[in-house]
Amino acid sequence: MSLLELKNVKKTYNMGKEIQVEALKGISFSIEEGSYTSIMGHSGSGKSTLLQIMGCLDRATDGDIIINGTAVKKMNDFQLAHFRNKTIGFVFQSFNLIGNLTALENIELPMIYAGVSRSERRKKAMELLKIVGLEEPEERGHHRPSQLSGGQQQRVAVARALANDPAMILADEPTGNLATNQWRIILDIFRKLNESGKTIVVVTHDPLVGNEASRIITLEDGKMIDDRIISDKAEKIVDEKR
Amino acid sequence: MEILMEAFRSLGKNKVRTFLSMLGIVIGVIAVIVAIAIGAGTTANVTARISSLGSNVIIVTPGFSGGFGGRSAAALTSVLQETDVQNIKNMAPDVADVTPVLQKSFTIIYGATNTVANVFGAYPDAFSILALPIQYGRLITQQDEQNYANVAVIGNTLATTLFGNRDPVGQTVIVTTGNVKVSFTIVGELQETGGKLTFDPDNMLMIPYTTASARLIQLNGGVSEILASAKSAETAANAVSEINNILYMRIANSNVYQSQSANQYRVVSQNAILSTVSATTDVLTLLLASVAAISMIVGGIGIMNIMLVSVSERTKEIGIKMAMGATGRRIMMEFLVESMFITIVAGAIGVGFSYLIAFLVTYLASGLGLMVIVTWPSIALSFGVSVIIGIFFGLYPAYMASKKSPVEAVRYE
Repeated sequence: MSLLELKNVKKTYNMGKEIQVEALKGISFSIEEGSYTSIMGHSGSGKSTLLQIMGCLDRATDGDIIINGTAVKKMNDFQLAHFRNKTIGFVFQSFNLIGNLTALENIELPMIYAGVSRSERRKKAMELLKIVGLEEPEERGHHRPSQLSGGQQQRVAVARALANDPAMILADEPTGNLATNQWRIILDIFRKLNESGKTIVVVTHDPLVGNEASRIITLEDGKMIDDRIISDKAEKIVDEKR
Repeated sequence: MEILMEAFRSLGKNKVRTFLSMLGIVIGVIAVIVAIAIGAGTTANVTARISSLGSNVIIVTPGFSGGFGGRSAAALTSVLQETDVQNIKNMAPDVADVTPVLQKSFTIIYGATNTVANVFGAYPDAFSILALPIQYGRLITQQDEQNYANVAVIGNTLATTLFGNRDPVGQTVIVTTGNVKVSFTIVGELQETGGKLTFDPDNMLMIPYTTASARLIQLNGGVSEILASAKSAETAANAVSEINNILYMRIANSNVYQSQSANQYRVVSQNAILSTVSATTDVLTLLLASVAAISMIVGGIGIMNIMLVSVSERTKEIGIKMAMGATGRRIMMEFLVESMFITIVAGAIGVGFSYLIAFLVTYLASGLGLMVIVTWPSIALSFGVSVIIGIFFGLYPAYMASKKSPVEAVRYE
């Protein structure tokens, strides 16, 4: 079944007097549960805007987004916050860890908002650090982001995205700020997570990263110009739906 | 709990800024508490002096005659009469004790020493009305009064002036003016009082009323003053109006003073003086405190300013938290807790410093009779106000934080 469905989604930014920028000009597709999709395009193609709308960080100007059978349009900000907390895990290009919190505390953040108890949070955060393969998690877990390398920070960020066991991971250029050997590690983590059943959507301009996915959606100038299924597995999912 | 930890952490990150924004509130709290403390100290000081008059004292003094036509103003010495004292004793149910007072300045001689002091002739009741405790010897008795005895009780300062370190009890002094010369035997010495508003018992020679009127101060039945005491603090006002009525009836019926206007005498109770004084000091305290309160508000504006800077500085952090599922309400609470934390800590520091300042002022200025009393209500008030300021001036920045859109915030670099 489809986890997320976009129906003719449009996004227009008002840039002052009568100047409007149409970032998305009617996008429709659906993301199946357990799929691994990459959204590709050049900068300015609207791919980041699309990810933000999919992740309920922003609202569409027009069109419908239906996640798990619920129309996003009908949710208020409070409900959206809860929805982001439970259903979506974000991974950003610049990691976006909070500087005055330790790695473990960063991972605990979504769990605090979900009302998980202190001891449970700490336990889960440590487990997640091990899952994303941070070296010496017992020690590094207590480091501040500034004391970690880029690759380590991004692994902490992935662990944070997984904190509340969300249905979907949304990643915006997750490898953009990483050295080659480091982004390989992140992509491996995504692959493993997908194999264990997580739905993954990665926004990237880099074909090497995009090709990891089993489905590649290409945007250009706010329009979807291509939607390709790469592996058999993804094909099967699409077939079932049809 | 996590919110509190978070607030602590982010404040700790900007120690100087946090300290500076606290400073405004600290100073404000100190100003309010110390202002109120000075007011309370002054009130206590004056109240103590007035209360030392004795319990529920009522003082009846003659008014002054008008000084027109080249005639100088003078105390209407013969307005109050001995008969008034009798009438008050018989007809004022709320008056406990009453005594006429004859008072005049005399030269007092002991051996080769002499000095000028007030001689105070009154019934023995005067000692209890004015709450004058004896230190050595005895007080003047009813017996002395009836016998026109030439005995006297001497004030503390006067005793030192005349006798030095010697025991005055049993000694004889000569009270003289013009060609009048009367000797008195000292029977007792009073404890030091430090002065009682209009009287200075420390520098007085107190003698029986009968002796005074017969031998020293002849006013033809007139008296210098009348002292009375009310039965209780509650009945003091009644006692005052009873005395007023008695005096009014008598003076209105006699033709002597009809031509002259009112204000021939004044009846004042200690409580009335007290309430006048406390009303004055209350106004003073209020004035001081409101000036101080302004500094607290300025401090609050400082906090608001800092919080607004902090909100815009942490736009990205807010966005990340929102992306992680923090609700607007949660973000708002985080900032609100921060500003409240600042003001609560600042308030506590302010209270601490106020105690220190009060202690130092009281210690250093003890000779000046300046009293600084830190009161619980002032602490509660200023602490409460600082917390309210934390909420009030923190609310708007916190609201601004909560209204940030997660996408704008995350995009912010």
